[in-house]
Order: sequence, then C-alpha cells, then structure tokens
Amino acid sequence: MKKVLLAAALLGASVSAQAVAPGGPGCGWGNLIFEGKSGMPVHLLATIVNGTSGNATFGMTSGTNGCDTNGALTYSGESLLSMNGVLEEVAQDMATGEGEALTALSVSIGVSGDDRAYFNSVMHENFASIFPRQDVSAGEVMQQITAVMQNDQKLAKYV
Amino acid sequence: MRAALLCVLVLFCTTVAQARDLEQLAQQPRWQALLHINPGATLRDRQRSYVDDADFFLAADGAANPVSELASTVEALKQEAAPARCRFPARYRFVAEALGWREAEPFAHCAEYQEWRRSVHAKRAVLVFPASYLNSPSSMFGHTLLRLDQGDDDGAVWLSWAINFGAVTTEQDNSLFYIYRGLAGGYPGRFNLVPYVQKIQQYSNMESRDIWEYTLKLDQSQIDWMIDHLWELKDINFDYYFFDENCSFRLLELIQVARPQSGLLDELRFAELPVNTVRALDQRGLVTERHYRPSKEVELAALRDRLDDQEQALARRLAADPAVAESDAFQSRPPRRQAMMARTAYSYVRFVNRKAARTEDIAGRSFALLTLVNRLPSVEDPELPDKAPPESGHGSQMLAASGGQRGSDDFGEVSYRLTYHDLLDNRRGFLDGAQIQGLGITLRSTESGAARLEELDLVSIRSLSPRGRFSKPLSWYVEGGLERAWAGRRRLTRYVQGGAGGSWRSGPWQPYLLASVRAENNSDFGPLITPGGGAEAGMLYHAGRWQWQLSSAGHYFSNDVYRHRSTLAVQYALAREHGLRASLEREGWRGDGETEFKVQWRWYFD
Repeated sequence: MKKVLLAAALLGASVSAQAVAPGGPGCGWGNLIFEGKSGMPVHLLATIVNGTSGNATFGMTSGTNGCDTNGALTYSGESLLSMNGVLEEVAQDMATGEGEALTALSVSIGVSGDDRAYFNSVMHENFASIFPRQDVSAGEVMQQITAVMQNDQKLAKYV
Repeated sequence: MRAALLCVLVLFCTTVAQARDLEQLAQQPRWQALLHINPGATLRDRQRSYVDDADFFLAADGAANPVSELASTVEALKQEAAPARCRFPARYRFVAEALGWREAEPFAHCAEYQEWRRSVHAKRAVLVFPASYLNSPSSMFGHTLLRLDQGDDDGAVWLSWAINFGAVTTEQDNSLFYIYRGLAGGYPGRFNLVPYVQKIQQYSNMESRDIWEYTLKLDQSQIDWMIDHLWELKDINFDYYFFDENCSFRLLELIQVARPQSGLLDELRFAELPVNTVRALDQRGLVTERHYRPSKEVELAALRDRLDDQEQALARRLAADPAVAESDAFQSRPPRRQAMMARTAYSYVRFVNRKAARTEDIAGRSFALLTLVNRLPSVEDPELPDKAPPESGHGSQMLAASGGQRGSDDFGEVSYRLTYHDLLDNRRGFLDGAQIQGLGITLRSTESGAARLEELDLVSIRSLSPRGRFSKPLSWYVEGGLERAWAGRRRLTRYVQGGAGGSWRSGPWQPYLLASVRAENNSDFGPLITPGGGAEAGMLYHAGRWQWQLSSAGHYFSNDVYRHRSTLAVQYALAREHGLRASLEREGWRGDGETEFKVQWRWYFD
C-alpha cells in the first residue's frame, strides 16, 4: 500500500482524498488529460535572465496544498501531475509501450528493474481501460493502474 | 606569581597559534569557495564574496574578510545543538574536518534541514544545457542548469531535481526596464530547486529547444558537498549580471565547492557563455558522458521525415479529423505505415497546441489519435538526425582579415566581432538559418586613403526557420549600426532595419522571402531620419563544410532614393576555428552601381 501511496503522490492523486471527493480540487489530482498549458506563458524577456518570478522554490515539501502524502515523491508539496503535461506524457508512453514518463511511474511504484519491461507491456495492453475517456482525471488514472496491477499475477505484489 | 605569568603566557601563545591556524585554514580553496570569494574570475568584487546578502555572513566584515568569517563560524558552530549548524551544514563539515571535531549526530536538532536532505539527495550530477532555438534571440546564448539524479538509472530522470540560478524578477516590470535591469545587475539572483520534469516541459516542449546533458565526474562525497552548500544558499541573494555573473558562472562556483582544485575560476573573464562553461568542464576532464534530448519539434520532424509525401498529407488530414482513419486511403496502407502516420498526427496535434488552453476539440482529437496509436502495431521511434553538440561549434569571438576590390580600388580589411554567429559561419554545432551578431567592427584601408570605419554592427539577428506542412513559423530579422552605402557618394550611414516573411527548406536548399523597412540617417539625406521600405529574397545552401548564400535586397526611401544590393557569398569551413569566405557584391542605385569582390579569412576563438 505504501508503494501505491508513493505512486499516487507521483501522479498527484491522494488515495484518501479520492474516496472522499473525486474530481474536487486538491493537489492536482483532479487534472484532466490534455490539460493544456495556458498557465505557462513563455516570457520572451524572462528567458534572457532565466528569471523566476516571485518566490524561488527550494524543493521544500511544504504539504500545505491539501495533498495527503508522505512527501517522498512530491516536489515542493506539489504533485508531479499538477505540473503541466505530465499525465499526457504518461498516456503517450502507455499508448506506445515505453518512455521516460512510464519509467518514472514504474520506478515510483517500486517495480524492480527486471519487471519493468513487463510492467510496460501490461500498461500498453490496458491502455483503453486506464484511459477510457478524453476527460479522465489523474485520480481515476491512478485507480485504474492500481486495479490493473492487482489483477496481474506478477504485478499484484507491488500494490 | 610566576605560575600566573606562565599561565598567561601559555594562553597567549595558544591564541596566537590558533589565529595563525585560522588564517591558513581560511586560505584553503574550499573555504574560499564556500564563501564565494572572487579569486579574480570577474572584474567586480575581486577578493570579496559575490554574495550580496548580510544573512549569509556571521561576521560583520565577513564578505570581505574570510578569516574573521571563519573565526565567527567556528564560534557559532562549536556548541552542540548550535542553531547555526542547521543553516551552514557544509561550513560545519569543513570546520569539523579541519579541527577534528567528532560528533556522531551533529545535525540531530535540525529537523527542517534533515527533512530537506531526505528528499534532496543524489548519486549523480549532470550539467544541462538547453541550446538556443530559432525565433527567440534571447535564448541564443543558451542556458545551463544542474540536475541531481537520485540513481544512475537513465530512465528515472523525471524524478530528478534541477538546480537553477536566475534573476528574481517582478511581474510589474515593463519590458525595456526589464532588459536594462537584467543587463545592468538590477535584479537579485537566487538559486532555486525545481523538479527537472518542469524544465523538460519548459525547454523541450514549450520552447522547442534541444537539451544537451553532460554527466559530471563527481563522486558521492563531492556531490554531498554541493548539496549541503546549496542549502546554505537558500533564499540568499547574489547580484545577477547577464554577461558574466550569470547562471553559468554561478554553477561553476557550485562545482568549485565540490572540487576546489578544479581551477574553473582561475582565469579572468568578461562574459561567461553557457557553451564555454560546457567547454571548460569538458577540457578539464570533468564530463564523463553526453546525452542528447531532442525537442518535441525535432521529434515531430523525424516522425514526418520517415513518411513519404502522400503519407505526410494523409497524416496531416488525420490530425484535423481522426475519422480519416476509417477512410480507404488510410486503410489501404500496411498497419505499420498506419501506425507511423498516427504517431505523426498525434505529435503534430500536441505540438501545434502546446501553448493553447484545453478545448474539447483538441482533447478529443488527441485522445482519438492516441487510442489509434495504441490499437495499431508498435513501431520503433524514428532515427534522429546526427546533431553535432554545441560545444563542438566554433568559438564565440572572431577576427578576420580580408582583401578585395571595389570598383577599381583595391582594399584591405580587418574585422572583429565580439559575438557570435552569422548565416555563413562554420555550421557545425549551430542551427542552420540562425544568426546572432553583436558588436562587429570592420576597418578598411584603400590604396588611395587611410584606414577608416567601414562597418559597425551593433546587433544583427536573423531567424530563417523553414515552413512546411507541419509547422508555419515566421522568419524575421532585425539589425542596426553603421555601414557605408550610396547617398550622393559612398557615405557612412546610421541605420535600423528589420523585416519579416517566410522561408522553406528542401534538402540543402533554403529559399527565403522577406518584406523589410529601414530607417536611415546620413549627411546627404535631408530629413534627420529617412524611412524606406523594400524586400529581400534569397537562397541559402547548407551542406557539410559549405554554406552558400545568394541574396538581393532593395529599399525605396521617402525622398525618392532607390538602392539595392545583391550578393553571392560562400564560406568553406577549413577547420573548427577557421573559415574561408568569398563574396561578390553589386550595389546599385538609380542610373549606376558598383561591384565589389572580397576574399576573407575568419579566425574564431574563445
């Protein structure tokens, strides 16, 4: 279960929050796939000085934004998935069967190096059930991944 | 009485000996690195700390006096459970090692530091260089950051941290002020620590920049020095200067903490270009591995290039309407080719909408295409074109000597350019069709007269990015300075000029067409500033060591003066730092014209 919590943290899903308020606000786990990136304007001039606006983050796990995780794999108390575009990369890697986002996911779940290729192929085969709709949210995706793994003989031990 | 005297004497002697020890200790490279003392690497603040923040120093004169800072540090750290230990773990380690302090748990009382250290740890440090990209001159010098990998597993870099040094700006600043302050040091600079995946999103996806990653030769202990010191820099302000005390320079200082004997900061520099940082590390044997992370745009181009023309058209239609997958045209292709088209279409939809907000239409098409990709057989990723790494490119400064003939006059020339690259310069390690030049000067001497200024280039930026079925970028240029041109006779004119249009690419050929405007001041034209409008057409040819350019530009001015210039130029890259260029130019005006021929040897350095 701990591993699932870690993965949930990675995907921005808080397992307990899922049960309580699916789709609600929180640490980004309500994010939809293909969320778009309007929140990240590329400031031409900001590029010159590599500027950061406002408070510089320093990798602190503040845990103040409603994410109930142990913080190990969240960044700055911010879930990976609430960052733009990550769920999309996971989806793309599952559709094709490999990629860095999928590897990061398997590492965070604790899948051993030997089982990674197998994990990838199971995710690839179950793409349609993990991503059933165009507006699936991070929380739902995490639930589906857990369900798929529980139903698999080799992967059940990781959840 | 005698015993008391002896006692005082002994005490005095020990104090003197300790002071001398401290003085020697404070001269150690690592202590100097921990305080960010400038060893003479840049002009400002020599032998003083670069840190511009009283919070960083424990002694009142700590910024200028490493000895008194060391004495205060020893004093502040020596007590068990001293609060200063939690602020300065790297200093503690330095002092404890030097003075032989042995405590099993010196940071037991530092909950915040310990928690941070649990989430920020690394087995590997990697220098990351997002290269320049067309269409954004501000990126043309690139940027550097450091990545901390939790394992040596290449696959898990999405879980890594990125250490970034940048100016802390405020939203309210308007653009001109922003540039001025950025260049002149008006912003404080700070280190920050962000998930590396954010940086991939920013550079590779949003800005279409290739990323080069260089694994550094640092062992576990050296990496730990760096991370512990990074904690000491939390919320600490440095000055930020665009040219020398910038992101790259600060990273060198961090690496200096890890490896104080590296000699990275020994030489005086006036500017620290990110690419030179990579070179400096490479030359000192500090780079063990290099990895290329293509931008999404490069990946899309590779996906596109493995399709034939019909398939490309089909993929483009599929992107607009995923129902095309049911058409006979699509179904008649073998499943593997279908899969390649579907991947291309999906990547295209994501690429063109990378800055758009989510809509049902975009999400719907993306989802349909991804489902199609999943259903079709898996195909391997396309091969990426072989790219020369940026550090293999020519040096950033240039000296040139040339000789030629204009009309019937022979001339000789010397040129110097501070930075960086024009369309014909040796292309290895650079983007085709990109030019950024700053501060170029040419002096010409003819048989009949003394040497005089021929050209002073303040800035000249060109971005000719090819348009195709899958992307339609704008090509543009802007330049300004002094140059000789015809106005009654050949005169020195002051001008600003810019234009926009399109460019296309087919194999080595790259034609372009630009509309342009020019504002000029010279001693012949009546008004102070004479505006003009015109056009430029040209063709570039890039292949191996050869670069060719044929171009023709004309301007018609508001005072009814017309002037045009046509050029055929070629450069052959003799070696990385040497190029040979020949050009033939025809300058024409109403009723007459002049022809110039020139051969030039260009030497790049630094």
